[in-house]
Formats: sequence, structure tokens, C-alpha cells
Amino acid sequence: MAMILREKAEYLATLRWLEVFLMETLAAWVPTTPEMEIKVLFGRHIWDAAQHADALGKRTFELRAPLHYTLMPLDPYVRVMRELAAVEDTSGRIQAIYDVILPAFGERCQHYLQNSDGLLDEPSLRVVERMLNDYARMKRERKEVCEELKGALAFDSARARKWSRLESAVSKIVVHGSGSTLAPGVAV
Amino acid sequence: MSASSKRKNVGGVTLCADPAREPCFRVAQDDGEMETFQDTMSEAARRERLHRHMNNEMGAMEIAAQCLVDFPEAPWDLRMQLARQTFDESRHVRALYRRLRQLGGHKGEFPIGNFEWAVTNMCDTLAARLAIQNRTFEAGQMDLLGGLRKIWRSVGDETTADVLEHILADEINHVRFANQWIRKMVQEERRLLLKVAGAIRFLADTNAALSPGREAGPVEASLEKHTRLGINVEDRRHADFSDDEINEILRQAGMSSLLPTGSQP
Repeated sequence: MAMILREKAEYLATLRWLEVFLMETLAAWVPTTPEMEIKVLFGRHIWDAAQHADALGKRTFELRAPLHYTLMPLDPYVRVMRELAAVEDTSGRIQAIYDVILPAFGERCQHYLQNSDGLLDEPSLRVVERMLNDYARMKRERKEVCEELKGALAFDSARARKWSRLESAVSKIVVHGSGSTLAPGVAV
Repeated sequence: MSASSKRKNVGGVTLCADPAREPCFRVAQDDGEMETFQDTMSEAARRERLHRHMNNEMGAMEIAAQCLVDFPEAPWDLRMQLARQTFDESRHVRALYRRLRQLGGHKGEFPIGNFEWAVTNMCDTLAARLAIQNRTFEAGQMDLLGGLRKIWRSVGDETTADVLEHILADEINHVRFANQWIRKMVQEERRLLLKVAGAIRFLADTNAALSPGREAGPVEASLEKHTRLGINVEDRRHADFSDDEINEILRQAGMSSLLPTGSQP
């Protein structure tokens, strides 16, 4: 079912929270991940997440919400994200980001695209489509780096599948109708 | 626990504990444990320069990333700059690592030090961290790169000179945004000036404590090298240092004769 304008702003604001979360998670992992190539990969992708958050935050303002409006997802989803952010081993961190989080965010983006008018909401679609393209590149770069490391890291695919199941079990993530979405017309 | 809240003690000075490194790296706790060469442009010395620089860029990336973690309430535009800096520094690490391997080197070939990380993360305000890392260490790096790329060219290594040229261009942006944001933050909250001054003093005290009584300890040696390579006045202007600030740096480096007549002491 197509979303009304306020719901779109709320959805984009929730995607923005996810991107800031991704940026901060990667940032926390840069100094605490020993492997240089992986550390550098995380550092590289911080900028991607920041750009996504920036574009989403500017778009929320155009949808009559505050500039850089950010909405925390529903609690069950936040719990899943926090569990992933607590992963400490390098292989697990790579899987959490590139096998679980990016595909999951991609699904949430697809949901937005399928529920928006391609003409009326085209500026949002451009932002979201760019995010999807970036996710594909980020996953490709992960693959290249892991190939360069020639199997130095061992991956537990069962663990990644478990995390993906946890994530996809939360179907609704957006808090709609909080009443604070519509801006008075000025940036905050 | 945040990576910046762990501590270590070096020579009686409390500093931030080292960031994570692979076992192949030997982490030096002072400059005396680093490898030095009589012939500063021998093949091994060149690789050591690249290896050291690569780790320094890794440290710069870690410091910028840690600022994103430790200061979530910072203005969004400043967080964007820090995120961009992590991206830039990550490219620098890759470029230097690529060049190191082209010259037959490998990671872990020489000892590394994490002095910048250890000092910068002792500061509890973003303004102070920017003052130490971007405005002091990276601005110093800017001066060094201004001279070093010419040295690499003089020995016929255009490829490395080109890498340094690109790194320099990025560093100017990092120093510039720090200068601009420090000014803005201090204007909005005057007490931050004390924090910044305290951080600079801490850096000077740490330098002094970790190189007591040496003929040419790390600080003196690096200042001596720094002075030999010169102050990169043009790029410091690009990085938004004021004329007064540049004049002060020239004075400290013993280059007063280069100052415009009216500004000489």
C-alpha cells in the first residue's frame, strides 16, 4: 500500500537512523579490528554510510520534516542491530555488515521503492537507488579484500544465517505517527 | 568499553592504549625502538619510510573514526568531515601499502609506533582532539610532505612522489576543516580554548617526558628534520592558518628572516 507523505518522511528518517548506526558501528570497529585490510575496508565504508545519512536527512526536510530528521526503529529491530554491533571477532564483523546488515537494509530500501510513486517521490527514489548501488559496490569490495587475504579468515555461515533470520523476523521497523514528524517549516 | 578509554603507561606518562594491530607488527613505545638508517634513502630506508607513513595514516583513520564514536552529539556537518577523513586516510593506507609492496616490502617489516593515537585520545573534547591530531600532527605532516615529495623525486622515484602529492592535497582539507571548526566551537564556547591549550601543553609535556636527556630525542630529531624540510607556508594558507599563525610557526622554526618586515620580532 502506498505511503502518504508523512509516512515517507518517517520511513526515510528510520533509514537515516540505520545509516548513522552503520557509520558508528564501523567507526567503533576501525580501531578494534586488528587486520589492516579489514580495518581499512571498514574505514572506507564509513564515508558511504555518512553520505547516505546526509542525503536522507536532506530529503526529510524536503518532505516537510526537520532537516536530518532521524527516527529510531521499533525496539525489536534496535535489539537485533545492537546484537550485531556487539560482535567482536573480525570474521563475525565482516559477516554482520556485508552478509546481514547491507542485504537487510537493501530489503528495507526495496520496500520503500515499491510503496512510493516513481514520479511524485522521484527525489527520494534517487537517494534510495544510489544507496542500493553503493551497497552492491561495498559488498564487491568486501569480496575483493577477502580474496586478497587468501582465506586467512574463517567464516561461520550458520551464524550469519541465524543473524539474518533474526533480522528478517522483524517485519515492521518504522515508528509511524509519533506526531513530531511535520516541521514548522524551518530546519532544526 | 570505548577504544579511547583504555590506558597504558609509557615512561611514567599515562596515554591511551594502542589500537588493535596484527601480530606481524612490532609496536614500539618510543622512538628509540624504531628502526633508523644512516643512509636515509637506501632501499631499506625507503621501505621503512613508507611502512612508518602507512601506519601513521592508519592511526589518523582510527583517530577520526574514534571521534565519530566518542562525540555523537557533534554537529552533523563536522561528523561528515570526520567520516570523509576516515575514507581519505583509508585510501592513503592502501596507496602506501601498494607502493611498499611494489618496492619489495611487506607489512610488519619494521617496527611501528602509535604515538598520535596515544596522545590525541587522552583529550576529552572534540576541539582538543582536532587541535592535536589535525591542526598539529597533520599540519606537521603537511610541512614534511611538502619537502619529502621533492626528495623522492630527486632520487628518481616519481611514483612515490606522486602518492605523497595526492596525500598532501587531502591532508590540507583535513587541517582546514579542523581550523575552521575549532574557531567556530571556541567562539560558541570560550572554555574550550582552555581545553585546547591544555591539550597542546599535554602534548609538549609528553614529548618532553618521553625524550629526557637524549642528545637528539624523538621530538628534537623530528623538529630538526622538520626545520630542515621547511614550513609549507603555501599549503598552510590553503589550510586556513592565519598569517599571524604562520608567522609564529616560522619564528618557532627559527625562520624569522623569512617573515615580512613588519612582523619580525
